[in-house]
This record gives sequence, structure tokens and C-alpha cells, in this order.
Amino acid sequence: MRTSSPHRANLLGLAFMTPAMVLLLGFFFLPVVLTSVFAFTNMSTATGISGGSYIVTGNLLRSLTDEGLDAKTIEALGQSSYVIDQAGLEKARAAGVDAKFITEIGERLKDRSFTSASAFERELKTLPSRPTRVRDLKIAAGAFEQSVLNVRYASRGEMEAALLHMLENPPQGAIERIATASYTGWTWTTENFKNLLVAPDTWRIVGNTVFYVVLTLAFNVLVGLFLAITTFYLPSAGSSFFSVLWLLPRITPVVLYAVMWKWFTWEDGFVFNIAQDLGLPAFNYMKGSVASAWTVVILVNGFVGASFGMILFSGALKAIPVQQLWASDVDGASRWQQIRYIILPHMRWPILFVTSYQTLSLLSSYEQIWLTTNGGPGSTTTVWALEAFKTALNNYTGNLQYGLGAAMALILVAVGLVLSIVYLRLFRFDEMMSKPKIEF
Amino acid sequence: MQISINNFTKTFDGTPVIDDMNLTIRDGEMLALLGPSGCGKSTTLFTISGIHRMDKGQLMFGDRDVSGLPSQKRNVGVVFQNYALYPHMNVFENIAFPLTVRKDNKADIDREVRAIAALTHISELLERRPGQLSGGQQQRVALARALVRKPDVLLLDEPLANLDAKLRLEMRSEIRRIQLETGITAVLVTHDQVEAMSMCDRIAIMKKGEIVQIDTPADMYSNPRTSFVAGFLGNPPISFLSGIAMENSFSVAPIKLRVPLGAHEGIADGTQLKLGVRPEHFGPEGDIAVEGKIAFAETQGRENLYDVALADGSVLRSIQPAGRNWALGDTVRWFIDSKSAFVFSDDGRRL
Ligand SMILES: Nc1ncnc2c1ncn2[C@@H]1O[C@H](COP(=O)(O)OP(=O)(O)OP(=O)(O)O)[C@@H](O)[C@H]1O
Ligand SMILES: [Mg+2]
Repeated sequence: MRTSSPHRANLLGLAFMTPAMVLLLGFFFLPVVLTSVFAFTNMSTATGISGGSYIVTGNLLRSLTDEGLDAKTIEALGQSSYVIDQAGLEKARAAGVDAKFITEIGERLKDRSFTSASAFERELKTLPSRPTRVRDLKIAAGAFEQSVLNVRYASRGEMEAALLHMLENPPQGAIERIATASYTGWTWTTENFKNLLVAPDTWRIVGNTVFYVVLTLAFNVLVGLFLAITTFYLPSAGSSFFSVLWLLPRITPVVLYAVMWKWFTWEDGFVFNIAQDLGLPAFNYMKGSVASAWTVVILVNGFVGASFGMILFSGALKAIPVQQLWASDVDGASRWQQIRYIILPHMRWPILFVTSYQTLSLLSSYEQIWLTTNGGPGSTTTVWALEAFKTALNNYTGNLQYGLGAAMALILVAVGLVLSIVYLRLFRFDEMMSKPKIEF
Repeated sequence: MQISINNFTKTFDGTPVIDDMNLTIRDGEMLALLGPSGCGKSTTLFTISGIHRMDKGQLMFGDRDVSGLPSQKRNVGVVFQNYALYPHMNVFENIAFPLTVRKDNKADIDREVRAIAALTHISELLERRPGQLSGGQQQRVALARALVRKPDVLLLDEPLANLDAKLRLEMRSEIRRIQLETGITAVLVTHDQVEAMSMCDRIAIMKKGEIVQIDTPADMYSNPRTSFVAGFLGNPPISFLSGIAMENSFSVAPIKLRVPLGAHEGIADGTQLKLGVRPEHFGPEGDIAVEGKIAFAETQGRENLYDVALADGSVLRSIQPAGRNWALGDTVRWFIDSKSAFVFSDDGRRL
């Protein structure tokens, strides 16, 4: 009886853990794993997410030129040639060319090649059984045309064979390079990260993100604390009214909230009219200037977080035993000293919780910015999460770069994890978690 | 410093809790506020400390009117019932808190805290957090914090309620010692009459927001003004018999009991009366014989307690030295010491 009980307790524990584990796997690990997978591909609207084929296009030739492939090879790739071989003869037969004519071509021109259509056609015209109509002659000539341009090959082998056929003594590695470049499907790559590292935009967006998170976070915590403490000291009738008022940003649907901010700040909006009446510059404050755009972005998100903070802080304040406040009163503490020495220490955990929770959610939030400034003017208020969202899921050019977007998201996840660990260590959450107050 | 409360009235949400109370606490005295739960003891204490404000009335510290002053400016030390120590500060910081907020310099704070810690015997606990202290230690920390800035008044709200019997005895004398040593005016709120009697110079007994009687413990015990006071003091408590006045005697007809009223002559025959008999005034010796059965017996070591059920069902308590023991069910013929019995009118007034 006694010996079996620890074992049973373990199984019971496991049974209790299972739903949590399943949820954790399904809703956390799986998305992260998928993001990591996508991050190392170049998937986009163009490549699709299933396989592709091999094709050399004019565009590809241009980009290969840009990448420094030698001009001779490029020229050769762009050209057609005419080779009289067995395959050509077969093709001609299939195209319905006169059988006698085919035989003549086979006999007289076998294994010769021509670099232009006119030369080949001139040669054909010398044959006795040549067709009388120019059109038929062109059909016959076309059967022997060999070109890789705009021809779709199903496999890499076919593409390489074709290239080998086209190019006489190609430079070292050129075949492989062209074949790789001609692939239209997605491929595994680390290019996303390399590109992000060198793109000048990256660091601007990182700067924007840090600026946004730090300022909004400060607003969240300080205003949340301020509101919670002032309503705490207010008589209860007034405080519940103000609590509800300050909760509005949190409980209003995001879209409605964003629309309200638009009314508030756009041309002919509230601020606009007041500014006009006061003789101040009146313009679209949401998008009209960088400073006002940032102000709007930080306030929009700041108030949402501040009401979240206020709820938490108010709850924590109510949990402070009133005798401690009385004691500090009779000990001679002024209101400010009471806040500093009694209330704030009691608020340590809620403050740390709001700080870390909000850091992480601000890092990954883009909805409000998307709905208000949409990262503008220009891309001055574009933050990392918004850029990732636009890159992967929503942009005007229509070419959605899933791979690049996933790489950006993955970086965000990594930063979030690192920050969580830093917070855990810095604020010693483990102290709070691991030492149960109640002993079993 | 003398404290006077004049015409104090306090109402919570329309319910009067204290009605027109008058109370004077003498300079350097320790006064107990004693009364049943909910009678307004804490309310009175919190009003003196400034945590609650008076709805009506006046509070004087010496000849200074402090009715309108916030608690920060009253210089009172309070020990709360649950101690209300600051959990995030260690013992030193807790005790130092009143001085810290007063912005005393560090050296002074250190000296004062160590001195008061020595007085309350907690010098070796200064580094601990309140959570790491026993109830009695916490209580002494709370006392030290209340005393450290040399308040004019020390207010204690049931400071011993959470302690075990032995610690309670110790702390009783400890608090009294410190109070005498510092000569501070103190108010002790309690509902434990032994505590009140053993620690305090005077006791104020409260009932439903009124002070019923204020006296020294000895006077209060030997000369209660109402049956409520008589019933509140004394352990085991006094027992009451109901009867009527009959020819200058207290009479319970069914058991043919007659106790001469002595000094209280001239009460109209038939008036409803109550007779209060303390357990030590009922036993094998006395002058008025009563017969009954032992309905309850309890030995306390040095003494035995008995409940004696009389023929009409009323009960008299008795306390007797151990040695001659009676058993449950024994029939006894014991005596009331009529000179020491209290006579009360039906509404509880002492006659
Ligand atoms: N803040 C309050 N709001 C409303 N009623 C209150 C409040 N504080 C006390 N009361 C009421 O006032 C009365 C006196 O309360 P008080 O705390 O003074 O009692 P007490 O004598 O200290 O009792 P106890 O011995 O149980 O502590 C009680 O009936 C209580 O319900
Ligand atoms: Mg109380």
C-alpha cells in the first residue's frame, strides 16, 4: 500500500500534465517548429509551397548577368541552334513533314549544325525534295531547333543535359549554377538571414522596434501604476467610475478602437479642429509627421497596456492588508512615503509581471500600428512584427515572401525567448515559483 | 500625557457604533478597554490614533485638541491585533520605519533601534523578516516599532490574542514593564478580563459603544456598578439568582431562599431582583443555607470548581480549595455569604 503510492502519484501527475503538454505542443511548439522550417526556405507566392520545375527565362538571364556569369555563356543560352540529329528527324516526322524530304535531310545534313535559322533554311532550300511553301519549310526547320530558353524541364537532370548540349565548353560550374538558378520551386536556404543582416532597412526597423517597445512599456507600467494608485486613494464611488473609464481601451474591439483614434487624429478630426481653433498647425496627426505618428502609435498601444496594468495593479493594491497602511499612517509616513515604502514593494511582482508580459506582447504586436499609421509616414513607424507580417502575409506587390517573413518571425521568437530568460533571472521569478508558501 | 475624549460619536454607514462617549486616560497610566466583541473597542482605539475620524466630539492630547489632525501628526504608537509588520522589510527596517520616514540621520536611527530592540529582547532578530519570526517575536517587534519614536501615547489592540498561554503570561508582564519603564500613557484593548486586571491601572468596561464603568481592577471587582460588569469580571464568573423583594429580603419562593437585603431596605415587596454571588462566596461556610446537587465538578489542581443545581433549576457556582472533594451527584447544603452578594435591579443596575 505504502510502497505503491509514490508510483501512483507519479502516474496521476502525468495524467494531470497531459492536457497541458498536448496544448503546449499544439499551440506553441508546432507553430515555432513550422516557423523555423519556413525560415530556412525561400518560399514566396512565386515559388508556391509545393515543388517546381526548371526553366531559363529572359529574366533569369538578366539576373545571371548581374551576378557575373560570363557574357559568352549568356549569349549561348539565349541563342537557338539547329542540329540535325535523330531526335530532330523524329520530331519532323511527328510534325508531318514530307517523308522524302526528311530522308534527304537525314542523309545529306546528318550531324551538321547551324547557328541561325536563316543559314539552316538556306541549306534546306538546296535539297531536291524541299517543300514549295515557305511555311512548310519553316515547320521542317523548326523541328531541328534546339534552345533552352523558356523550355520547362521537369527535373534537374534534364535541364543539365539540355545545357550541356547547348553550351560548348562552358566555364567551370556554370551548368550547375544555371540549373540551380533556373529552379522555380522553393529551396532550402539561409539567404533570408544573410539578407536581413545586410539590409539597411533591418537596423532601422530594429531601432524603431526598440524605441516603440521601451516607450510604450514605460507608458503601460507608469500610467497603469499611476491610475491604480490614484483610484485606490479615491473614494470608492469615484474610483469605480474611473476604473471603468480607463478599462475602455482594453475592452473596446481593436478595430473600433483604431477607428476612434482615426476620428480623433485625422484631418477634420477632434485634435485637428482644436489645433485649428488655437491657431496651431493642424494636419493629419496620425500620418502627417513622424513625431505625431510616433505619439499616436505609443498612445494607442500605451492606453491598451495601461488599462491592462491598471486592472492587475488595482487587484494587487486591494490585496495589501489595510492594517499595514494604517500602521504606516500612524508611523508618520506621508502619502508619498506610504507609496514608496509600503505600496510599491507590495507591487513588485505585479510590476515585474506586467513589464515582462508587456515586453513580449509589444514585441510581437502589430495590429494597432497596422490599423492606424500602418507603419507610416514612409516606414518611420514600422516595427519588426509589422514588417514581418507585411513581408509574409500582406503587401501591395502581391509577392508574399513566406520564407523571409518566417525568418523575421523566428528572430522575434528567439528575442522573446532570450528576454524571457533574462527576465526570469533578473527578477528571480523562480524564487516566486519554486518556493511554495504552503507546505504539503 | 493625559488623553480626554469628549462627547465622542462614531457612525459607520448610518449605524451608530459609539454614542456620546466620555473617557479620560490619565498621564502615564495604562488603561484597559474591556468589552465583548463588536462593542467598539477597536473603533475607540483607532479614533485616538487618527485612523478613524470622529463624527462628533473632541479628542484632547494634554491641552492640545487633535480631533482634526491626521494620524501622521499625532505621535501615537499602535500595536495592531495582527501586528501589521511590513513583510518586505527585516526587523531592523520595520522598527526603524517611523524614524526613517521622519528622515532622522542613520546613526541616530541605528542607536534608537538597537536600544528599543534591547528593551524588547529582540536584539538577535534584527536581520530576520517578519515571516521568519514566531508570534511572540512578531509581537515584540510590533511593540518596538510602536515605541521607537517615543510616542506620547501607546495603543495596543488585543496584542496578546494570538499567543499561547505561557507566552501570553510572559508578554503581559513584559508590556507592563516596558510601559512602566517608559512612563508612557497606554490604552490596551482586550476582551480578556484577566489580561485587563493584571496589566492595567484602570479598566474601562464597554458595552455597545458605551463605557459602563471605569475603575481600578480591585474596585471594579469588588464594587461592580451593573450586573454586566459583575458578570464580565471574575473567572469562574459570578452566578445570578432571580427573585423578588419580600420584607427586606431577596426571596426565591420555590426554594424558600431568603437573603436579607441589609443596606437596601425599603424596596417595595414584589420588585423583581437579581442576586449576584461570586464562586468564592458560596461554599461550606457562610450564613444563608442553600441545598442543591453537584451538577458539574472540575478540578484545576489547586482548586476545584463546582456547579450546584438548586431545586428550581438555577445554578450557583463555587470554587473550593482542593482536598475535600465532592463528586458529581452529591447533595450538598452550602451557604451564601450574604454580605458579599450583590443585589441588582431587574434591568441590571446595582442597588
Ligand atoms: N469600517 C467599518 N464599517 C462598518 N462597520 C464597522 C466598521 N468597523 C467596525 N464596524 C462595526 O462597528 C462595531 C464596533 O467595531 P469594533 O471593531 O470597534 O469592535 P471591537 O470592540 O474592537 O470588537 P472585537 O473585540 O471583535 O475586535 C462593530 O459592530 C463593527 O461591525
Ligand atoms: Mg477589535
